[in-house]
Amino acid sequence: MTKAITINNLTYQYDDQDLFDGFNLSVEAGEWVALVGHNGSGKSTLAKLIVGLIVANGGDIDVFGERLTVDSVNDIRAQIGMVFQNPDNQFVGATVADDVAFGLENIELPSDEMPQRIDEALHTVGMENFKEREPHTLSGGQKQRVALASVLALGPKIIILDEATAMLDPEGRATIMTTLQNLKAQFGAELTLITITHDMDEAALADRIVVINDGRLILDGSPDVVFSKSQTMHDNGLELPFAGELTARLTVKPEKYLDERELIHWLSPSNK
Amino acid sequence: MAITFEQVNFSYGAGTTLANPILHDINITIADHQVTAIIGQTGSGKSTLIQHLNGLLKPTTGQVIVDDLIVTNTTKEKQLTKLRAKVGMVFQFPENQLFANTVLEDVMYGPLNFGYKTDEAKQSAQSALKMVNVAENLWQKSPFELSGGQMRRVAMAGALASNPDIVVMDEPAAGLDPKGQAELLALVSNLKEAGKLVVFISHQMDHVVSVADQVIVMQDGHVAAQGTPADVFNRDIDWFKSVNLDLPRAGQFAEQLRANGVSLSRRPLTLAELATMINEEYEHE
Repeated sequence: MTKAITINNLTYQYDDQDLFDGFNLSVEAGEWVALVGHNGSGKSTLAKLIVGLIVANGGDIDVFGERLTVDSVNDIRAQIGMVFQNPDNQFVGATVADDVAFGLENIELPSDEMPQRIDEALHTVGMENFKEREPHTLSGGQKQRVALASVLALGPKIIILDEATAMLDPEGRATIMTTLQNLKAQFGAELTLITITHDMDEAALADRIVVINDGRLILDGSPDVVFSKSQTMHDNGLELPFAGELTARLTVKPEKYLDERELIHWLSPSNK
Repeated sequence: MAITFEQVNFSYGAGTTLANPILHDINITIADHQVTAIIGQTGSGKSTLIQHLNGLLKPTTGQVIVDDLIVTNTTKEKQLTKLRAKVGMVFQFPENQLFANTVLEDVMYGPLNFGYKTDEAKQSAQSALKMVNVAENLWQKSPFELSGGQMRRVAMAGALASNPDIVVMDEPAAGLDPKGQAELLALVSNLKEAGKLVVFISHQMDHVVSVADQVIVMQDGHVAAQGTPADVFNRDIDWFKSVNLDLPRAGQFAEQLRANGVSLSRRPLTLAELATMINEEYEHE
């Protein structure tokens, strides 16, 4: 399999403190990885290091086989799209369509190709009916979907969402999660997704969960494997999804980790 | 120090052709020394409601009474200054409002504006920073060097530094990690123990259940319900759908169990309660 991202022996100091000291991680092409950790665990810093917004003190980062250096950074950024936490800080256009067009102008896409790209990207995130709307009239969840469309229009191989749902209400959060699932269904192996979050219901959607704390890799595995380590999660300032927290308190427990729907089935009379 | 809304209506652009009515006939009493949560879907009028608590907005008709101060449409700005000294307001994502060179200066800004002398302001700022658990080695740093969670706490200290009797917070836990959320809930409880009246807006029903004494449910600018969490969250599930709100997670889980043929004797509102009920159910078998 192709590696989308390989991080080898990464070191990074901030304010004279080692945030990363010999950190290793690799992400397969087409994987959906949730990077989780409490506030200040280093997860956002890692994302910034990958796209070269900040520079590591040592170690290597390869993106699709290309080493991240001063010379390659623009090339690598062209392959990675990022969506940040605050929906209000990511708009430049006067309308939704203009906003998506901004990125396309930057890559000097011929203007006759733009309308189709804009339409496709907005369609993918379910915002095609909002093309002419002014961004400030949108809800938080809608704004984040437009931010995602702006990134998608550029055809990235990797999208990193850095706590993109943290500022949204429950409804907005749910629409983003659905959009990400649709995206994964549509693009499959063509798109590598990294979601940085401390919301475990969001992390549960990923193929793989990587837990970091103080710049160290704590757990790495599929959601059911990671969520079966309730003590480790709690020790690192994280919670399990509701079903996991409930299971941890049951006197009679299922043999393996069950998500909410499975746990309800396991508890129901038809299972006895 | 209780708060009363009497027949409060509020419109943006009142008296113009663009008048946009937001709040309709609000009659509520918010009791002293208690924690009151305001819930309702986005756009239901929660933020507009709390902006009446410190006179940022004045009722178009009706009156808001805070302690001995009455706020109506004609209340003068000078009166509102008195009100603002009583009411500490923490907005959504308050870390966006930090501005000073150091953490300590940022927190001192409020008290200085309310007429504290420099050393008094410094003392109040320091005790507020301790209250919200901002470590002393951060006090001389720029607030912009801090992590998101630390910035949130500094901003809260700014609202608490002038020792207001009433603390109002708009979604104080939004975006915090589980540990930060737990600390925030502990802070709310501490404020209550210190004798303050606390009002907070939340989308997280589990937070409401864990710290609120009273709940006000807003829908389309009306008060749709008011009562204790136990009263409100034991309403029929269809009612929750009608106001577009979720039950606390334990209640949601219990409803799904019910749909799958497991009936619990009552609706649990917390994880601990739910776990106990399921464990008891199994022991009977």
